Amino acid sequence: MVALIKHVVLLIAALLAAESALGQGERGLETQIKAAFLYKFGGFVEWPAGAFARADSTFSIGVLGADGVAAELERLVAGRTVHGRAIAVQKLKRGEPLAGLHLLFIGQPEASRLPEILSAAKGQALLIVTETEDALARGSMINFITVDDKVRFDVALPPAERGQLRISSRLLAVARKVITG
Amino acid sequence: MGRTGKTRKYSLTWVGALSFLGLASVASSAFAQQANPGLADLSLEELANLQITSVSRRAERLSDAAASIFAITGDDIRRSGVTSLPEALRLAPNLQVARVDARQYAISARGFNSTTANKLLVLIDGRTVYTPLFSGVFWDAQDVFLDDVQRIEVISGPGATLWGANAVNGIINVITRPASETKGLLVFAGAGNRESGIGARYGTDLSGGAFRVYGKGFDRDNTVRANGTNVPDGWQNGQAGFRADWGTLANGFTLQGDAYRGTIDQLAPGDVRISGGNLLARWSRELAAGSHLQFQAYFDQTEREIPGTFIERLGTFDVEFQHAFQPTAGHYLTWGGGHRSARDRVTNSAGLAFLPASVTQRWSNLFVQDEIALGERLRFTAGVKAASNPYTGWELLPSARLAWKVDASQMVWGALSRAVRAPARLDRDLFIPGQPPFLLSGGPDFRSEIANVAELGYRAQPSQRLSYSLTAFRAVYDRLRSIEPIGGGALMIDNKMKARTNGLEAWGNFQAAANWRLSAGATFLDEHRSFRADSGDSNLAGAGNDPKRQFLLRSSLDLPGQQEFDVMARHVARLPSPAVPSYTAVDARYAWRLQKELEISVTAQNLFDKRHPESGAAATRSEIERGVFVKVKWLH
Repeated sequence: MVALIKHVVLLIAALLAAESALGQGERGLETQIKAAFLYKFGGFVEWPAGAFARADSTFSIGVLGADGVAAELERLVAGRTVHGRAIAVQKLKRGEPLAGLHLLFIGQPEASRLPEILSAAKGQALLIVTETEDALARGSMINFITVDDKVRFDVALPPAERGQLRISSRLLAVARKVITG
Repeated sequence: MGRTGKTRKYSLTWVGALSFLGLASVASSAFAQQANPGLADLSLEELANLQITSVSRRAERLSDAAASIFAITGDDIRRSGVTSLPEALRLAPNLQVARVDARQYAISARGFNSTTANKLLVLIDGRTVYTPLFSGVFWDAQDVFLDDVQRIEVISGPGATLWGANAVNGIINVITRPASETKGLLVFAGAGNRESGIGARYGTDLSGGAFRVYGKGFDRDNTVRANGTNVPDGWQNGQAGFRADWGTLANGFTLQGDAYRGTIDQLAPGDVRISGGNLLARWSRELAAGSHLQFQAYFDQTEREIPGTFIERLGTFDVEFQHAFQPTAGHYLTWGGGHRSARDRVTNSAGLAFLPASVTQRWSNLFVQDEIALGERLRFTAGVKAASNPYTGWELLPSARLAWKVDASQMVWGALSRAVRAPARLDRDLFIPGQPPFLLSGGPDFRSEIANVAELGYRAQPSQRLSYSLTAFRAVYDRLRSIEPIGGGALMIDNKMKARTNGLEAWGNFQAAANWRLSAGATFLDEHRSFRADSGDSNLAGAGNDPKRQFLLRSSLDLPGQQEFDVMARHVARLPSPAVPSYTAVDARYAWRLQKELEISVTAQNLFDKRHPESGAAATRSEIERGVFVKVKWLH
């Protein structure tokens, strides 16, 4: 038993020592979950045929103001597909054109620019996902919200319909709240 | 366990661990963020239910459970490069996996391991994989399309209240991904010195749901003895299956099935043949917020022909339901029941007989469990299952669990359980030889084996990078199987062995850098077996052959340019009787994704070891050779 306790203590001490040497991890599970959701959303939304230039066009996800999510997403989509299409993740800078994107995630820091982005994307079938409290009222389609330590999301259907996007009922079933207009 | 004299031998493992971690701290400064590609394999519902402050960091929903649970993710399986379900189970530190030969494995948790281990319950997508012959698993007949496995939950310790008899020492729950998550075409082909295999899966949308179909086949090489001579145990197997899902996990319908056929060499008189199939339907419905109903039914047919020994044809029909709801605030009640009937037809041989040769047996159960919130941090779960078996009628399986969330990142839990291992045909109906006068007879009064188990566990996630779990347990077994002399040189099976086990299970994950994860695991087991005073048996080893210690160390590294490099080292201490030397096996896998669709991987097993035995007596046992396997996978 003594040997056993020594082994365990040693293991824990080693892990703790290494951990404190490294400091706290910067990113949390929250970022990872959001990235996973963004990838998943693609599979539960239908884009109009015209949204893809060619049969083998990639599915393009833009990320603005959330570099951590973008980095996670890049890693996570490697080798995966949405609607049979390869996935391209673009880390966007403020003011960069949105043409060719199918999904856009706007992080909290850029939330105030939502009206500007919406007008720039007018007529484009672009699924807009945000993480800001009142974003749905301002034209976002899916908004992340943290409830009881869990990442949930609300969906607003009218702006999605205006963008010719069809959101599957299976996605709506998981949504915390669905705004139907 | 207090063998301080042996500490030096194992401390090498820890020196290895420490240097690993030292390296980690250097490498990690280059990386800022965490990565968890496994999350993409979860469903929308599962993602929405993940605690951001997941105790285990690896984001399993079971992380709050008051039990010793380890989850092997689909990603873990892929990155280990294993080609079979039993090999994948080596990833769980709380299981003991010993390969016996090309097709047979001895797999158990918390001791009593043998090829006829009978204290572990194994489920594949809710279907109990079980033979009533000995209450255990024929591992050669259990296969899945590994790329479609979402996770394997391994619970060590009793889970009898929810899972039923047989869940005495543990539960293995293999969960495949819903069809909606396996769309597209996947083709693989692999070859190596020990085996070759091919497989394909295609998944697509179905009106209101999704569907997939798969097929796979392999050819495994025979094993060898210590002196290098061949053991004729090579085998070929083919399996095909499908799964269709409509709706969501909470409100949906699933239909799935598999069929398989295999041929295994043996010494005269002829090849072993196995075949079978199963069909399962599951229906679940959310009745109201927090109220959930599920029905499941399956049919499973399996055949096994071992020329010269016996032929078994087993047909099982199983139906069960479960309802969970919140009767009042602070209570979460789960209740349900099930019924299974099985027709087992055995063709006996001169060597052994199951008598009667053909039987139809029935099992029923009813259970109720209440999870009570005692304040914000304390959860008390109490439950009882009443389960009937064809031999001893109804048995009660109660358990009580207490979980205390110390804070957002720490949990302490404890549990007291009583589990039973109901008699199997082996205990009651087995006769050797196949004709009287019998040398060995099944015990007409053989009763259920009993285990009373106390567990204490601690799980913590001190930071985003580190999580670990510790479980200590003590189990007292009574009425274990013994073989008693009954005069005239004849023997009869009885319940006169007792045992006591103490042990510790520990594992942890450490995200050393964004692209580098380290995992370690250790189990310690101290087992004392004895016979009752009125027993005439003297073979304590008959109850199983277990290592006192087992260590596991894994490193998963992502390299630039879509490359992966994984190493797993495991050390298993010596087995006492029959004596099997301790061994350390190192496996490694390198994979390179050349294009989005194409991946090439090389897996080496037993890298530094020409061959080693894992089970059995020296004269007759097989040794497991070094293996190299090259695999090409194409996804579209």
